[in-house]
Amino acid sequence: MFATYGPMFLLLTVAALIALLFYTGATVLGPKNPTPDKMKPYECGSESSGGNHLKLSVKFYLTAILFVVFDIEAVFIYPWAVHFKTLGWTGLISMFSFLAVVIVALVYCVKKGALEWEK
Amino acid sequence: MNLFFALSPFLTLALGALLLMVAEAAAAGNGRGEKVRPGLALGAALTCFASCAAAAGVWFYGVERIEGLDVLQPWLIIDRFTLFFAGLLALGGGLASLLAGGYLPEHQIERGEFYALLLFSTLGALILAAAGDVLTLFLGLETMSLGVYALTAFRRASPRSAEAALKYFLLGSFAAALLLFGFALLYGATGHTDLAGLGQAVKTIASGALSGQAAGPTTLGAAAGPLVLFGFILVLAGLVFKVSAVPFHMWTPDAYEGAPTPATSFMAVAVKAGAFAVLLRVLLVCFGDKQSTSWANGWPAVIAWIAVLTMTVANLVAGRQESAKRMLAYSSIAHAGYLLVGVVATSRDGTAGTSGILFYLLGYTVATIGAFGGLILAGHRGAEAVSFEDLAGLGRRHPAAALPFALFLLSLAGVPPTAGFFGKWFILKAAMEGGFSVLTVVAFLNSVLGAYYYLKVLVYLYMREPGAGAPIATPMKSGYVNVALAVSAFFVVLIGLDPSRSLSVATRAAASLFGG
Amino acid sequence: MISPIVYVALATILFFLGGAGFLFRRNVLVSLMSIEIMLNATNLALVAFNRLHTDSHTGQMLTFFVIAVAAAEVAVGLAIVISFFRIKRSVRTDEADLLRN
Repeated sequence: MFATYGPMFLLLTVAALIALLFYTGATVLGPKNPTPDKMKPYECGSESSGGNHLKLSVKFYLTAILFVVFDIEAVFIYPWAVHFKTLGWTGLISMFSFLAVVIVALVYCVKKGALEWEK
Repeated sequence: MNLFFALSPFLTLALGALLLMVAEAAAAGNGRGEKVRPGLALGAALTCFASCAAAAGVWFYGVERIEGLDVLQPWLIIDRFTLFFAGLLALGGGLASLLAGGYLPEHQIERGEFYALLLFSTLGALILAAAGDVLTLFLGLETMSLGVYALTAFRRASPRSAEAALKYFLLGSFAAALLLFGFALLYGATGHTDLAGLGQAVKTIASGALSGQAAGPTTLGAAAGPLVLFGFILVLAGLVFKVSAVPFHMWTPDAYEGAPTPATSFMAVAVKAGAFAVLLRVLLVCFGDKQSTSWANGWPAVIAWIAVLTMTVANLVAGRQESAKRMLAYSSIAHAGYLLVGVVATSRDGTAGTSGILFYLLGYTVATIGAFGGLILAGHRGAEAVSFEDLAGLGRRHPAAALPFALFLLSLAGVPPTAGFFGKWFILKAAMEGGFSVLTVVAFLNSVLGAYYYLKVLVYLYMREPGAGAPIATPMKSGYVNVALAVSAFFVVLIGLDPSRSLSVATRAAASLFGG
Repeated sequence: MISPIVYVALATILFFLGGAGFLFRRNVLVSLMSIEIMLNATNLALVAFNRLHTDSHTGQMLTFFVIAVAAAEVAVGLAIVISFFRIKRSVRTDEADLLRN
């Protein structure tokens, strides 16, 4: 088991060590000059306002979900692309009809205004 | 070309659904209003009836004569069993879209998505009925279910609709996950996802277990047997959920009540028929070996218990309902119970049991669509008929609206000479001849018990008057609903008057499942 | 090489965790996540079992389709949850109590 996963553990250890090194190095070596303004949670820009719990618009959800659904369809294109030559015309026609259906869905989304960000 | 002909029931529906979707979006893009578009309901219904006609065309041409269907193996199996279900499901979908064409504008929830969803859902049910592989089975099941979840949530302003959709969705996806994990275990034990290959491997494993040696076809050895058993339990749980049998029936009344009535009728008809098609295929093709179909070691005893529980619980609870819609929901659970009696019968004589189930589903489909259509017709805008009180005295005030309703209820109750009576008759006969006499008696007693709540509706329709101050229901007017009711009534009477013709069709369909 | 059986065991544990989460938690979103865990456990089991049946890649292929279907399922599910939330202002399943016998 170690022969298979040994390099991975090694990589993880090295990554952790480097992160630790940089972090402690910056704390120990870096110059420090604290002022009250610098100690505020939001040092730059204007004063923070409102709660930290931001309610997202449903628009985000709609766009995100549409992205996920269309994105997942790409799953079927990869295996086809890898075996493009062996699958031949049958594969090409099948994939084109599949993509045609996906495009119909896309047209539907556009027509329904699901992709309009502002309305 | 042959291939396209054989697949025409599916392609018709798929193309029709896509066209309808785009047409509806294009129309909505200009107006943006909730304007009434009567063309969509007609388009959806015509698509379904065209698909139904295509299935009939392939049937009469003779599916055995079509060559080159091997390409579809094992994904889709186009045989007479599939074609029968294709016709039945498309008919159900078409009648449901006709009901929607009347119901949606009347209750001001006419949005074009309904029809596209309905068509996709019907397509899913068709694929489910034709599935010969776990892949197509799962795709069909989910296509059907996702459409129906959305249809249930269709009344966006109604809390009941949202709640019903939520419950249905959560439990439905849970059941689908159980089913899929079960099939994953079966795949692990056998190395097959095609149902026929799965059946062969299960047979080998079962005979290996009998002779005391682990003869699994895989490296799993002795673990294969328990894996198959566990997988089977999960698959069965998922399927029992989809046919809405006790103990996985809890979603049914809620989903049926909350959904818009045309969607309810579609669920009662197409989802149930599709689920029974796949249940039969899985039980008879994957688990059709001697060991699995024996009473002592196999599924018949399990299904028999589920059937008894389903019938009894559903009939007892249905009698206590105040809402006619909810009563019809419980009645559909009870019908699932009768159908399961037929499934038990298939373990002895496959063709007789299956043909009984197919015949029953035919009569059940038209009668259920009709009953929900009658309920739709009894109400009008702002005053949907839901409870028994709403129906009081309708028979005297509006005899034309009440008469078909009464006919469909009689058919569901199984009163001769309607389609429902012969459906019960053939199923009980198959169960009796299979030697399941106790089960037959229980089913018979249950159908007598069940007649009570159908007759209760008739009593309200013809012998009661609405109470003082209660709103008096006036029926809505819609050509679509009238056509749907006329078609359903035609079939109920036709099947009832000439059951032998329908039975011979059902028998040929059933025989093809066993290679006949 | 780790035996595929270990992965199957992990998949089974995940599946039951998902099932328990679905049955015992009352938050709709947690229920949705539990269903996703169950589906992913199935995917893991399918891929692991594929190692036992190397003559074809049915298990792997099936996984692709399950992933795609699961995405569609979540899309519909979230839409339903949002329409429920709009009416009820809550994502708890015990708020769904209108439909009773």
